[in-house]
Amino acid sequence: MEDLTAVAVHTDVSLWGLFWQAGFIVKLVMVGLLGASIWTWAIILDKSLGYGRAKRAFDRFEQVFWSGQSLEELYRNLGDKRTTGMGAIFIAAMREWKKSFEKGARSPIALQMRIDKAMDVALARESDYLAARLTSLATIGSAGPFIGLFGTVIGIMTSFMGIAGSKSTSLAVVAPGIAEALLATAIGLVAAIPAVIAYNKLSSDAGKLTARMEGFADEFSAILSRQIDEKLPRT
Amino acid sequence: MRGSITSSAIIHAALLGWGLLSFSAPTPMDMANSESMPIDIVSDVSQLQKGDKKAEKKEKPAPKPTQKPQTIPDAQNIGDSETDVETKPTTETKPKPVEAAEAPKPSETPVAKPDPLPEPKPEVKPEPKPTPVPATEVKAEPEPKQEVKPDPVAEAINDVKPVPAPAETPKAEPSPQAEKPAEEQFKLPEKVAMPQAKPTPPAQTAKTPDRKEAPEKPKTQTAATPSKEKDGIADQVADLLNRQKASAGGAQRSSEQASLGANKTTGGAKLSQSEKDAIYALVNDNWNKPVGVQDYPDMVVRIKYRLTRSGELDGSIDASGSGGDPAILRTAIEGARRAVLKSLPFNLPQDKYDDWAQNDFTFHPGVNE
Repeated sequence: MEDLTAVAVHTDVSLWGLFWQAGFIVKLVMVGLLGASIWTWAIILDKSLGYGRAKRAFDRFEQVFWSGQSLEELYRNLGDKRTTGMGAIFIAAMREWKKSFEKGARSPIALQMRIDKAMDVALARESDYLAARLTSLATIGSAGPFIGLFGTVIGIMTSFMGIAGSKSTSLAVVAPGIAEALLATAIGLVAAIPAVIAYNKLSSDAGKLTARMEGFADEFSAILSRQIDEKLPRT
Repeated sequence: MRGSITSSAIIHAALLGWGLLSFSAPTPMDMANSESMPIDIVSDVSQLQKGDKKAEKKEKPAPKPTQKPQTIPDAQNIGDSETDVETKPTTETKPKPVEAAEAPKPSETPVAKPDPLPEPKPEVKPEPKPTPVPATEVKAEPEPKQEVKPDPVAEAINDVKPVPAPAETPKAEPSPQAEKPAEEQFKLPEKVAMPQAKPTPPAQTAKTPDRKEAPEKPKTQTAATPSKEKDGIADQVADLLNRQKASAGGAQRSSEQASLGANKTTGGAKLSQSEKDAIYALVNDNWNKPVGVQDYPDMVVRIKYRLTRSGELDGSIDASGSGGDPAILRTAIEGARRAVLKSLPFNLPQDKYDDWAQNDFTFHPGVNE
C-alpha cells in the first residue's frame, strides 16, 4: 500500500495559509466580506454610541424645556450652540416664529403653517440623520451569506477541477480546497449575523427616537399655536 | 464615524491575529504507521468454497489442516474441537502465569481428578475418570517425562476434563494414532494452549495404545457426546468469551494444505459446457418459432427462470425481448415461455444445483442455430 501521507501535497492549513492559497475570486470575496464586516461594526459602534448620546440629549432638553424657562430665554441659550434632535426642531420652530413675528405677521393661520413646515423639515432631517447607514447594515446582513456562498461555490469548483486535473480523488488533495472555500462562507456569516441583529436593534431604536421627536414637535406646535392666539391681535 | 471605523478595524485586526494564532496549522493525523487493511474479495455467494481466508490462493480451496481425527461425522466448521462450534480456530494463547507450577510433577495425579473448576465443560462425567486417570498418568511419567509433562500439568490445572479426551481420540481410528505420535509430540506446546473445548493432550493419545485402556473408552465416548449437545451453546459462548485460551473452532477436520477460500462451502460445482448446451438446446428445440422471425436477425429474446431441486419451475418465467417487429417479438417471447414449460422437468446433476438453479438464456430466434 502506498503511503498516502507521502502522496498528499503538504499544504498549509492555517487560517492565513487557507486565504493565501485561495483563488483570485475567492480571495476577492474574502477581502470584500472582511471589509463589509469592518464597516458593519463601525456602523454598529457609531450608531449605538450616537443613539445613547441622542437619548441623553433628549432627556436633558425635555427637562430644560419643561422646567418653566421662557421659550425666548431657551432660544437664546441654544441659538449659538450646535444642536441636534429635539433642540434642532425647537430652534427651527423658534427661528420661524421670530422671523414672522418680528416682521409683523398678518395671519395667525399662515404663521402656524410656516412653523409646522419648518418643524417638519427639521424633523425629517433629524430622523434621516438617525437612520443613516442603517440600510447598509440591512444589505450586508442579507447579501453577506450569499457572497460568502458564492466564494465557496467558486472555491469548491476550483478544487473539483483540480481533482479532474490530477486524477486523484484522495481526500488529502481535495480537503485544503474545500476548507479554503468554506472559509469564504464562514467570513460571510461572520459579517452577516451581527449585521442582521444590529439592524433590527438599531432600526427599532431609531424608530423610538423619531417617535419621541415627533411627539415633541406636535406638543411644541400646540404651545406655539396657543402663543400665537394670545399675542396676535384679532382680525 | 471615523473613530468608529478605526476602532472596528482595530478590533477586526485583533480578532484576526488571534485567529491566525489559534487556528494555526492543526496537527496532521498520523497515518504513517497504519497497517494495510486486508480486504475480503466478495464473489458470487453461490460460488464459495471452503478454505482459509488468509492462505495463498491455490487451485483447490482448502481450510487450514487440522491435527486430529474427526469425531463428529457431519461437522460443518473446521477446527480441532470436539464440539462443532462456529468460533474460528485461533492459536495464540496469552501467557498463563500458572505454568510456573509445572515443576512438581508428582502432583499431577491429584490435580487432574478434581472436577470442581467452574469452567463450562466440567459436567462431562466425573465418574469414569477416576479409575483411568491414575493408570494413564502414572504410566506416562516414567518414559516421556521430558517432552510430555508440561502439557498435562497445565491442562490438569486449567481444565477439568483431561481424562475423557484421551479416550475419545482412540475411538475413531486407533490405527492412525500409531503414525501420529512423532508429529504430535512436536506440536504439543501449541495444543496445550488450545484445549478449552477438547483438552486431549496429544502426548497421552500417543501413549494410549501402550496403556491398554481399551475397556474404558466406550464409556467415555458415550458420556462425552451427549454432554456436548446439551451444552453446545454454552460452550460456544464460553469459547467466545474466553480469550485466555485459544479456541480450536469446529469439529470438521481438514487434511489439505490451507488455501484461499471462505468459511463455508455454498456450492460452486459448475455445469459443464455440454450440460449448459444441452439445456439450451432442449429449450430451443421445444420452441415453436413464429413465422417470419428469420427476417429479424437482430431480434433477441431473454428468458429467466428458477428451478427447484427436482428440476421443476420455481416461481414464474421472466421473458423479455427486443428488436424486430413488435407483433412477432411478442409471439416469440410467448413461444419461448411455452418452450421452457414444455421442457420441464429438467433432469440435471443434483450436486451442481447451485449453478443451474437460476437460468438466464439469451436467444436469437432470427438466426438459425
